[in-house]
Amino acid sequence: MSANIKIVLIILSIALITLSGGGPARAEVGVTDKSILTGCSNSFSGPLAFTGMELVKYGIEIYFNEINERGGVNGRKLIHKSYDDGYDPTKAVANTKRLVEEDKVFSILSPQGTSPIFATVDYLEQQKVPLIFPFQGSPLSGKLIFTTFTTYPRETEIVVHWFVKTKGWKKIGMIYQDDKYGLTYRETAVETLKGMGMELAAQESVKRGAIDMSAQMAKLGQADLDVLMVILVPGPGAMAIKESKKLGWTKTKLVSAGPLTDEKFIILSGGEGEGVWGFSLWPDPVHSKKPAMVEYRKNLEKYAPGHVPNRYSLFGYFYGRLFAEGVKRAGKDLTRDQLIKALEGIKNWENGIISPVTFSPTDHEAQKDGFMVEVRENVFKPISGWISLEGGKLAERPLGE
Amino acid sequence: MLLVGAGVLFFLSPLVLGRYMVFILNLFAVYALVSIGLNLVMGYTGQISAGHAGFLAIGAYFTAIVGTKMGWMPALLILPLAGLFTGLIGFLLGIPILRLKGFYIAMATLAFGVVVGEIILQWSGLTHGDDGFHVPRAALAGFVFNSDKRLFYLVQPITLGMVLVARNIVRRRVGRAFIAIRQSEIASQTMGIHLAKYKTSAFAVSAFYTGIAGGLFAFVITHISPDSFNLGVSIDFIAMIVIGGMGSILGSIIGAVILTGLQQLLTGLPEVQMLIFGVALILFMIFMPRGISGMLFDLREKLGKSGNGEGKGKEVNGTFPDGMKRG
Amino acid sequence: MLLQVILSGMATGCIYSLMALGLALIYKSTEHVNFAQGDMSMISGFIAFTFFQLLRFPLVPSLLIALLFSVGLGLLMERLLVRPAITAPHFNIFIITLGASIVMQSLAGLLWSYDQFPFPTLFPNRTISMGTVRVNTVNLGIMGVTALLMLFLYLFFKYTKVGTAMRAVSQSQNAALLMGINVKRSFALTWAISGLISGTAALLIAPVIFLSTRMGLVVINGFAAAILGGWGSIPGAVFGGIGLGILENVAPYYFPSQIRNIIPFAVLVIVLVIKPTGMMGEERRKRV
Repeated sequence: MSANIKIVLIILSIALITLSGGGPARAEVGVTDKSILTGCSNSFSGPLAFTGMELVKYGIEIYFNEINERGGVNGRKLIHKSYDDGYDPTKAVANTKRLVEEDKVFSILSPQGTSPIFATVDYLEQQKVPLIFPFQGSPLSGKLIFTTFTTYPRETEIVVHWFVKTKGWKKIGMIYQDDKYGLTYRETAVETLKGMGMELAAQESVKRGAIDMSAQMAKLGQADLDVLMVILVPGPGAMAIKESKKLGWTKTKLVSAGPLTDEKFIILSGGEGEGVWGFSLWPDPVHSKKPAMVEYRKNLEKYAPGHVPNRYSLFGYFYGRLFAEGVKRAGKDLTRDQLIKALEGIKNWENGIISPVTFSPTDHEAQKDGFMVEVRENVFKPISGWISLEGGKLAERPLGE
Repeated sequence: MLLVGAGVLFFLSPLVLGRYMVFILNLFAVYALVSIGLNLVMGYTGQISAGHAGFLAIGAYFTAIVGTKMGWMPALLILPLAGLFTGLIGFLLGIPILRLKGFYIAMATLAFGVVVGEIILQWSGLTHGDDGFHVPRAALAGFVFNSDKRLFYLVQPITLGMVLVARNIVRRRVGRAFIAIRQSEIASQTMGIHLAKYKTSAFAVSAFYTGIAGGLFAFVITHISPDSFNLGVSIDFIAMIVIGGMGSILGSIIGAVILTGLQQLLTGLPEVQMLIFGVALILFMIFMPRGISGMLFDLREKLGKSGNGEGKGKEVNGTFPDGMKRG
Repeated sequence: MLLQVILSGMATGCIYSLMALGLALIYKSTEHVNFAQGDMSMISGFIAFTFFQLLRFPLVPSLLIALLFSVGLGLLMERLLVRPAITAPHFNIFIITLGASIVMQSLAGLLWSYDQFPFPTLFPNRTISMGTVRVNTVNLGIMGVTALLMLFLYLFFKYTKVGTAMRAVSQSQNAALLMGINVKRSFALTWAISGLISGTAALLIAPVIFLSTRMGLVVINGFAAAILGGWGSIPGAVFGGIGLGILENVAPYYFPSQIRNIIPFAVLVIVLVIKPTGMMGEERRKRV
C-alpha cells in the first residue's frame, strides 16, 4: 500500500504547489504603482453563463480597456480577474477565497448570482474586502458593500404603488419563479398591498427551468386580473406571454419585472410581446441616443466588433465606470478605506445612463428607481419618467432621453 | 516510515500553507468521504446512485439546523447524529430500491436527489429555502473552529478515521459480500449472501458517510443553499469514482482530489473546463474504466510487487448487477 | 378549464415523448442508455440555426441539412464512443454518453455562446378554438409528428426484417451473430435512426422551449417519461411522455406550490417501486 500512498502524496504535492502561486508583494492589497487588481467569481457556464460573459468580458473588461488606453486611473491600469462558478455557491466560495488570498485582489467587483454571492458575504466581511456592485437584486448591505440596480423589494413597492395610485388598478396578480428572486417580489407585493388594505388577487409559482406554465396561466386567467406581474427570466417569461395570447387574454396587462425587461424577452416572444409593459432599469442599449449610451456602443464596437449591445454588458460597462470614478476620487493614496470613503462621497453623479448616483455612509445603493415601458414594434418605449418612492409617495422625474 | 513522515507533514501543513490551500484541502477531505460513500454503493454493490448530493444536503442541513437550534451541542456530537440521520434515510431509500435493477436505480436515486432539493427549497421555515442558511461555527468544549486552518484539525482527523473504518469494512466479510453482490446477485444468493440485508446496509453506510461529509461541508462552506446540492453535483461525485476507480477506497480519495483539484486549476479557463471534464469522462471510460486506482494496481502487479491479499486495491469493473452482456 | 390544462399537458408531454422515443429506441436495440440524446437534439438545432440565421440560407433547406447532420451525428457517436466500449458493461456506455453530453454543451457554448435564441416553426402559429379549449397549431404539429414517429417505429420493429434483426441483437448479440446478423451494422443503424429522431425533436421542440445550450436538459424528463411508460417500449415512451406532461400540468392545478413540483417525481418513484417496468414494459428474464 505504501507505494500507492506515495503516489497520492506526490500528486497532492504537485497540486498544492501549482495552486499556491502567490503574486508579487503589493502596497495596499491589489494595488501597485501601475495597477489595480479587481476580481470576481461569476457564471461562465451553467444557467447564467450568457449573462456572466456579457457582464465581465463585454462589460467590465470593455470599460477597463477603454480607460487603460487613456492612461488608467491616477496612472494605474485597472485589471480584472474572473473565475467560473457555474452558479454553484461552493465554487463561488472557493473562487472568492482564491481571489482574496492567492491573487490578492484589491476589491471584488461584480460577481453574479444571489446564492453564490451570499455564500461569500461573511467571508469578505471578515477579510475586510470590499464587495462592489454585485449583479443581483436581493437587499444586501454592509460597510464594504455597494449595490447596483434597484433591489427587488424596492422595485416591487414602486411598481405596486404605481399600479394602485397611478393606474387605479384593483386586481393585481403575479406569476413568479420559485426561488429567492421570485419569492422576494411576491412577499414584498403581499406586504405592500396589505399596507393599502388590499391583497394579491391571484398568484402562481413556476419552477426554475420549467418549460410549461399553461396550468398556472389558466388559473390566473380565471381571476380576471387588471394586471399580472411577471417575475420570471426571459425564456419562461416569453412562454408566459405566448400562453396569454393563446388563451386570448384581452383585459389583463402583463408587466415584466426589472430583470425580465430585457431585449431577449422580446426576441423570444417572437412578436407576441406587443403591448406588454415592464419596469425598466436601463435605457434601451441598442436604440437610446443619450450621449453616454452612444459612447458605450462605440466602445463595445471598438473592442468587440459586431457584438450586439445588451443590458448585461451595459451593466458591466456602467459599473466598471462607476468603480473607476470611485478609484479616481480616492486619489493616489489608494487604500480600501479610501475607496469606500470616496464612493460614499459621490453625490448626484451625472452619468447619462441611469439617474444621478448618490452614495452616503448610510446609503450604498446606486439605483433606487426605474421607469415604465411598453413594447411597441419590438422595442421598449418609455411610458413614464423615472419613478421612485420618496417618503412613501410616488415621485417622478423626467427621463432625459 | 515514509508513511508516518508524510502523515506528520500533512498534519502540519496549515502552518505553512495559505488559507485558500487549507480550504481546498478541507474540500478534498469532504469530497473524499462522499466518494467513499458513493463507492460503497456503486463500486462495491453495483447500485448506481445519481442522487448522492441529496444525502450531502441532508447531512449539511441537519448540521446547520441542529447547530442553530441546539447551539450547546459540540460538533463531535452533531456530526455523528447527522450521519445517523442521513444513514437512516439511506436505509429507508434502500428498501424500495431493492427490487430495482441497474438503470432503474439510477432514475430512482436521481428522483431522490431532486425531491430532497425541492423539499429544502419549499420547507423554508426550517431551511430558509433559497435564502440560504448561515451555518453556525463548529465548536468543541469552548474551542471554536472559526477559520479554515482550525477547521482543518476537525475535518482531517475525522476523515482519516472514517477512511480507516471504510478500509476495514471492505476487507472483512461485509466488504467481500458487497463485491460478490456486484459481480452477480444471483450467484451471491446461492452462496448464502442475504441480498436485502447487504444492499440496504450498503445504502445506509453510504448515506452515513455522505451525511457526515455533509456536516463537515456545512462547516467548511459556512453558508449553504439548495444550489449547492443539485444534479450537477451528484454527477460530479459519479465522475470522482469513475476517474479514481470504482470499488476502491484509495480510488475514491484519488478521484475526489483529482476532480476537485482539476476544477480549481482550470477555474481560470471556464470555456474549456467543462469540455475537459467531459472529454476526461469519455477517455477514462474507454481506456481506463477501472480508474486511476485500477491503473496503479496494474502497475503494481507489473512491477512484481506481491499483492498482500488485502481488499484495498483489488479492482473489479463497474457493472450493473443484472448480469452483463459481453460480445 | 381542466380540459384545457390536460390538452396543454399532452402537448408538452409529446416533447418528452420525442426524447423518450430516441432513448427507447437505443435501449430496445442495444440495451444502452444514451444520456446525450437531448444534447444531440441541441446540436442539430444549432446546425439548423447556423444555416438559416448565420448563413442566411432559406429555412427548409437549413432544416433538412440539420436532419441529415443529426443522422451523421448518431453514426459518429456510435463509431467513436460506443464501438470502442462495445464489450464493456453498459454502465460504461452510460458514463461515456454522459461525458459526451457535457462535451456537446461546452462545444455549443464555445461555438454559439450560451445565449437563448428563438427558433422558427414550420407550422403556422395560430390558435384554434375547439369549444372551451384553445389549442395552438404548433403544439398540434408536435403531437401529430410524435404519433407518426411512434407508429413508424412500432411497425418497423415489429414487421420489418431489419427491425426484427435489431431486436434480436438486443436480446443476445452472440445469438444474433450466429444467425448471420451483422451486429455492428445493427448498432450503427440504431444510432442513425436515433440521431434522426433527435434532429426531428429539435425542429419541433426548439420553437417552443427556445434554442440554447441547455435545451438538451429536457432529456431528463424524457427518462422519466420512458420509465413511466415502460422502459424500452416504443409506445410506452409516447404514452409515458404524454402521461408525464399531463401529470405535471394537472399537479399545479390542484396542489399548492409547496408540493406540486415533487408530484411527478413522487409518481415516478411509486411506479418504480410498484411496477418497475412501467405501464407497458415487459419483464426481461435474466440468464445467469
